[in-house]
Parts: sequence; C-alpha cells; structure tokens
Amino acid sequence: MEIYVLVKQVPDPEAIVKVKSDSELEIENKYFTNFFDEIAIEAGLKLREKFGGKVTVLTVDNKKVDALRRGIAMGADDAIQITDPALEGSDQFAIAKALATYLNLKDKPFDLIFAGRQAMDDDAGMVGPAVAELLGIPYVNVITGLEVDDPKKEVKVIREVDGGKEILSCSLPALFTCQKGLNNPRIPQVMNVMKAMKAQIKKVDLAALGLNAEEVGGKAAKIKVQKYLPPPKRPPVKMIKEDFPENVKTLVKLLREEAKII
Amino acid sequence: MALDFNFTEEQEFFRQMVRDAVNRLIMPKVKELDEKEEFPWDLWKEFAALGYLGLRHDEKYGGMGTDTITQMIFYEELARGSCGFSMSATMQILMGTYFIARFGNENIKQKILVPAIKGEKIGTICFTEDQSGSDLAGTRTLATKVDGGWKINGRKQWITNGPIADFATVMATIDPKLGLKGLNFYLVERKTENRDGFVSGQRLHKLGSRCSVTGELVMDNAFIPDENFLGEEIGKGVQYAGEILNEVRVMTGMNALSIAKEAMEDARQYANNRIAFGNPISRYQLIREKFAKFWAWYEASRTYLYKCAWMIQNNIPCIHDCMLAKYHSTEMCMYAVEEVMRIYGGNAFCSEYPPQRFWRDAKFLLYGGGTHEVLCDYLGRIYCKE
Amino acid sequence: MSNEIWVFAEQQEGKVRKVSFELLSAAVDFSKKTNQAVGAVLLGNGLQQAVKSLTPYADKIYLIDDPSLASYTSDVYLINMAPFIKEHQPSVLLGGATSTGKDLFPRLAMHLQTGYAPDCTGLTIEENGKLVAKRPLYGGKVFAEVVFSEARPQMATVRNNTFLVNENLKKSAQVISIPSHTDPAALKKKVVGLEKGAGTKLDITEAEIVVAAGRGIKAPENFKIMEELADVLNASVGTTRATVDEGWRDLKDQIGKSGKNISAKLYMAFGISGAIHHVLGIGTCKTVVAVDTDPNALIFNYADYGIVGDLFQIVPALTEELKKVLKE
Repeated sequence: MEIYVLVKQVPDPEAIVKVKSDSELEIENKYFTNFFDEIAIEAGLKLREKFGGKVTVLTVDNKKVDALRRGIAMGADDAIQITDPALEGSDQFAIAKALATYLNLKDKPFDLIFAGRQAMDDDAGMVGPAVAELLGIPYVNVITGLEVDDPKKEVKVIREVDGGKEILSCSLPALFTCQKGLNNPRIPQVMNVMKAMKAQIKKVDLAALGLNAEEVGGKAAKIKVQKYLPPPKRPPVKMIKEDFPENVKTLVKLLREEAKII
Repeated sequence: MALDFNFTEEQEFFRQMVRDAVNRLIMPKVKELDEKEEFPWDLWKEFAALGYLGLRHDEKYGGMGTDTITQMIFYEELARGSCGFSMSATMQILMGTYFIARFGNENIKQKILVPAIKGEKIGTICFTEDQSGSDLAGTRTLATKVDGGWKINGRKQWITNGPIADFATVMATIDPKLGLKGLNFYLVERKTENRDGFVSGQRLHKLGSRCSVTGELVMDNAFIPDENFLGEEIGKGVQYAGEILNEVRVMTGMNALSIAKEAMEDARQYANNRIAFGNPISRYQLIREKFAKFWAWYEASRTYLYKCAWMIQNNIPCIHDCMLAKYHSTEMCMYAVEEVMRIYGGNAFCSEYPPQRFWRDAKFLLYGGGTHEVLCDYLGRIYCKE
Repeated sequence: MSNEIWVFAEQQEGKVRKVSFELLSAAVDFSKKTNQAVGAVLLGNGLQQAVKSLTPYADKIYLIDDPSLASYTSDVYLINMAPFIKEHQPSVLLGGATSTGKDLFPRLAMHLQTGYAPDCTGLTIEENGKLVAKRPLYGGKVFAEVVFSEARPQMATVRNNTFLVNENLKKSAQVISIPSHTDPAALKKKVVGLEKGAGTKLDITEAEIVVAAGRGIKAPENFKIMEELADVLNASVGTTRATVDEGWRDLKDQIGKSGKNISAKLYMAFGISGAIHHVLGIGTCKTVVAVDTDPNALIFNYADYGIVGDLFQIVPALTEELKKVLKE
C-alpha cells in the first residue's frame, strides 16, 4: 500500500505561549511532533507491516523538520518537506493546497492518507479535510478504529461522535484524521533514531509543485488573525474554609446566589 | 570556527527522542520505582528493546557506536527520571561491559557482550571491598594462576546490579604486596551447577537510587578460564581503569546535572503556585535568589561537562577537567536538592512530594568515581604543584 | 444588506441540537445590527418536528428532507448543501463545533473556496456584515480574533454554551424546500453502524454542567458517587487522562489536551490535581469548583471556588444538599 502521513512539528503542550503584541506571539522554543500525528504515523506503519508497501511522511514547514525525522525514527520509508519562502503566512487551506498538489503529482497513486485529528498549535483540524476535498477522496475525521480490506480496497472505520461511536465504510483511496485510542504510537528504537538523524530530507518547492506564489502565503489567506488576545483572567479562587459539612452548604449557596448557575 | 557551543540539529533531535522515551517509559513510574526498592524487570526489558544499551558498542555486536557527545546527551536525559534506573543502565552500558568489549575474545563477546546489549544478561564491575574503595591499592581479592586459568578469592561490596548480575568485571590482585601494580581485571560469571563463579552476598538497602539493586559478590575459590583475563599484560589493571574514568566522571556529572535541573523545575512550578502571605512564594526575594544561584551554577556545570565530553571525543587529555567538572556538577546538585527542600517548606519532608527523593537520590553521586574528599585532595595537590 | 445569516441546524434523530438554537439566537441578534434575514439550514429525513422547533428562531428554513440524508456523512451533506449555498451566497454560515460541524465545515469551506474559523468561543458582527470570530489557540493559552477575506460565506463553528438560547423569539419562518441532489452511485462512503454511548447523558462538550474525578477517586467503581451527583445536576461525568490510561473510564469522557475541551457553565473537579494537560481543557468553562485534599493542588489556581477536603466525604454530602435545595 502506498501510504502518506501529514505531520507537523508544534510547540510542546508545556511550552509557554504569550501574546507579545496584537500581531505577534512569543513562543517558548520547546517543540514536539504533534501528538495526533504520531498516531497517524503509527496507523500507517501498522498497515505497511500487514500489507507491505511504503509509508511517506510529509510536512509543509520552512524551518522545522523534526516531525519528519520522528516519522523516519518510527519507521517511515521516506520524508518530504514542502518548503518555500512564499509559503510564509499561509492559512490552512493554502497548506492543504500545497499538500494536495504534491500528492496529485505523484506518478504512483496513493491508497491512504493519514493526518492527526488536529495540530496542537492552531487547533483547527482543517488541513486533513481540505486535502481530501482537493483530492476528491472520501475522508472521515477523528477515527478511533480502522480495518482495511486491501484486496477489496475497502475500509471500515470507527469515528467518535458526540454521545457515541459511528462505524463507517468507504472505498480507497481515502483520508482519515486520527484520534487518541486508535493505537499506541511506538517509541523509536535507537537504531532508527540514528538513521533519522542522518536521513536526507527531500525538499520540494512551489516551482516543483507548479504553484504560483500568489496561490499561497498571506495574500491568498481566506482568514487572518486581526489581533491576539491573552486568555481571560479568572478572579482569584475563593477558598471555602468552613469545616465539613458547612462547607458543602456554603458552596451550594454560592453557586446559587453568587454564580447563579444552579 | 574555533569555538562553537551549539548542538547540531541532529543532536537536538536525538535528545528529543531520548527525552520522549524517558517521558513515556520512566517518568510515570518514578515514585513507584523509589518506593518498591526492586529492580524493575519489565521496565528494563522495554527499555532494552529500544537498543540504548548498545549506545557505545560496536555495531558488529548489536551496538550503535555513537560518539561521546551523543552518549553524554543520553546520560543527561536518562537521569531526569529515576536516578536508580540510570545507575543500572549506565553500569550496563559503560563500566559493566567496557572491558569485555576491549579485551574479550570473540567467544566472550558473543557469549557476554551480545546478550548484554540486548539486556538479556546483566553486567557489573567490582572495585570496592570493605577495606578499599577510592583506595584501590588496598584491594585484597586475590587471583591465583592455576593450570588453564585463575582461581579468584574475595568479597566485593557496593556492587551496582550485584544481586541480579550474570557477569562481573572483577578487579583482583595477583599479590597484595604489589599495590596498584598487582591489579588486573577478570571476567567472572555467576556460579551455576556447571560453572564456577560468584555468588550473591548481602544486599544493601540504600538511602536513594533505590531501584538499582546493590549488594555483595562473593568468590570462593572460583575458577575462571584463561580467556577471562581481561587485559594485554599482567599488572596494568589500574592503567586500563583510567581509560574509562574520564567518561565515568562526566557521565556521573551528567546525572547530577539532570537531577538538579529536574528538582529545580519541579520547585519552580511549586514556587509559582504555592501562595504564602497572599503571593506565590516565587515573588519573594529569598526564594528567587535560590533559583538565580542554581541557574548560574547549573549553566557553568553544563558547559564544562560538555566541554569535557568534547575533549574525550577529540582525544584531548582531560583527566583533571573531568574530575573538576564532575566535582562541580555534583556539588551544584547538592546545592540544588538542598534548596528545593527549603523551597518546599515542610512539604519537602513528606514522601508525597518529590524533593526528598531528589535529595536522597543525589547523595549517591558524591561517591561514584571517588569520594569528593579523595578527589579534592588530589586536585589540590595538583594545583599546588607539589 | 440582502445576503442572509445562516445557521446549520444540526439534528440528531430529527431533534435539533441545542447549540443550533444558541447560534440562531445569536444570529437574530446579529441580524438586528446588519439588517439581514436569518436562515436555518436543515438536512435529514423525517424533519417535521425539527422544522416546527426551528420556526420561531429564523426567517427562513432551507430544508432538504430526503431518505438519502437519514444519516450524516460529509459527502452526502456537502453534495446537497454546496449548490444552494453557491446560489444564495449567504454572508455568514455558522455551525456548532460538534463532531458533525468539525467534520463538515472544513471540507465545505474548502469546496466553496471561502474562509472558515473553527471551534470559536465568541463571535461579533460589524454593521457592514463583517464577522469577527474569537478562537483559542495553543490549547487556550492565547486567543485570536479572526477576520475573513472577501469570499462568502464567512464560515465558523462555535462551541456549545457560547451563546444563550433566546426562548422569547417569536419568528415564523418560511420553509423553503430544496430537492435532494444525492446520486447514490457517487457516494464513496456510508454509515454502517452506530454505537450509542452508555446512558443518556450528554457528551461532556455539550453538557452545561460537568462533574469530574481523577485518580483521587482510587477505583473505577467509585465513579458511582460521581454519577449520582451528575444525576441531581443533570450533568455529565468527565475525567482525566490518568483514569483513562488506567482503563477506568472511556476516552470520550477525557477532559484536556489529549481529550476534549469543554466550555461548561459549571465545571466541578474532584480529586484532580490540575496537571497542565487537564486544565488546558477547561479554560473556557465559566465557573470552576475544585475539591482536593491537597491545599497546594494546582487545580485551585484555575478555580473560582475551592474546598480542601476528601471527595468521598464531599461528593455524597453535596449530592444530598443539592437534592434538598433543588427540590425547593
């Protein structure tokens, strides 16, 4: 099977992110591979182990390639970085366009594309579905189960929906975004880590994709951030210091009379 | 460029991967590892499967053959979690297998080194005895030449991994009267029905680093074949030991570095959230000073340790640098864990909170690679050019 | 302005979800400022009840009632919605940040070549009809005000409980029935099964009140006291990563960075220390109550009300007290 995984390096959940000005954020230099993308890589590797084929990790990033290196460390066969100065300021749809264009260019047709449920920076969850739309293939988001019938080119997936689970079947090729619970991403073996350290990352620029600078980047963006804001400040906690059971009575009273919630 | 203090992109990636493995495998179990005081076999197997035990060994035997700086990055990240686990692992990676890899014949390497890299056989090195430790000339364990091999007699103490070890590199003398010149290394395996070797003696219960099991190894007229003599010439054991002392010291310094950092990171979070007199305690100057001092000493230590790693890697003589850096880093760590005990106030005294564990674990580092008293006595003498 | 403000009225088994009414109420407010009509977009099969419930909340209901729409997939909804959106060119299209909304909207926006702001926690509109969406980034560590290019509609999905339902609306929507465009042969995926979660509790993202316990609850069977408390409050029961990793609770109930973000009106945390992973998921809850035995637990920094105490004592007492008070 020809499998592609869309990955991204994002600030670590514990990294400090602050508003520097209306138009700029200050982000602590602590990055990791988007957690959901690791699940996506693992999904690809599991299928390759079962059916053979090739797993390629793919990112659009001008600077960070560690997500690709992690992909290789986990066992991916190939890594592609789409990079071009004109991509700066791209919104998610422009990123999707670059990815979809690359995937369309491949002479070898793909069977499956995996992505994370969302990237833990913009938390948008847009690139996966947008790529599927541009490629005109079925997609299902937030999957927690996956069963592939390779000869029949059919897939059965379990998707989380509010209040339950949904089981869907669809034809290949298809794109799925992966959610925690689908699998347990492997910890890379040191041998593969060393391989990943030395791996040559293939770079692809806009010219190679046949895209114009105007089609991506800040000018093509369909949405833009007008202003960054700090999170709303909570007033300091009110500790209820009475002994039990008076504290419980006071809490209920505060919730009713002060917070007016119940 | 004459001076470049940056890690490469690849080294940073390697660090990230080790950190991640430690976060996933070790961090969730840190408290349990300390409390149980048992060797964590399951964790050991999971960890060994990742291949890190072969970090510094030849690829021919399943190793990775990495350079010294890469190894030191690994040691720094590893000790962040459990100091005890780090002790067991570094014993296996460095001291416990070094002389097997250096002097063992092909048969020994296949029999011992290959499974050791896989984590299937546990190794250790034995220097200390009841009357000798930092003072190696006092070694009493006796190796007597016999037909086809050697007979070893003696008791070794304070042996990391001792109670579970399958094989040991044992320092023994051919004649106590020869002092340092009589010392050699011998490979001794655990005694079985078909094989002579060492047996376990008393197990020690330690203040910290508790999941690395430590105890006595006893050799009672244990016969070993000639091929188990680890060296090219008789009487050069101390010289051979010197070959890894630099690495051992820098590695110990790395352990100290990361325990100190982890303790302080924990204390920072505590200080930012613990409210006293209406403010987080990190707003108070006496608390801030502790962080500032730690920070200065930590950065100095770290830079010096990596300089030593770089010197080892480039074959630049650095025995005194490695001693100084180990000394500095460990003392810095003592400062850090002491101050964390204070930042936490009374909570530091309860096992619910981590400072006491950092404090107990860190104390172990004072002794490895020579006590600081012996180290400083020597360094002072060198400095005064006596 | 002639172009309309539309809300995708999401229905489950013929019942329109609460978030859709919240968004319609907001849209009606917006329309007063921009002088636009409010449209509800309703797709499904057997929707008489749904139409009726929507009538007071919109000026128009765009209805596609067809057997092919009996269960949701993004394909079939997209095929049906895209043509008449292109035809009518609404100014705004809003949806709930539900599993359906987050599945449908990005793909639809890409198809329509228009801007989309996901998972918003606030919306305002300017008199010229320009939408300003507020959305959390980096797990809620910062927020961004997002504006749209000239492309229309301006699309956004909005979290539950961001707006209040205005129950006093008395519009009388005109129903515009649209024929279905579904070509069964063109569909590449279908729903083959549905597993309901246990019980009838709302999803934690949807519930107005969420009560949660972490590792402090000590054993999976002890969640019974949480369920009892939830029953009194009509709340849903959430949890932390630790208990999910232990296999005590289902992943769908996990609050936090690797689970779900909730925006409940009231969130009550019992025996939860407040690891950063967890608190990132509760950043937009309106009122937070924390109960923990450790007076230094980080969770208290994120709470409005705190009690230092044992959950095994507090929870049952709270359940009893609430029973008594709520009966009055």
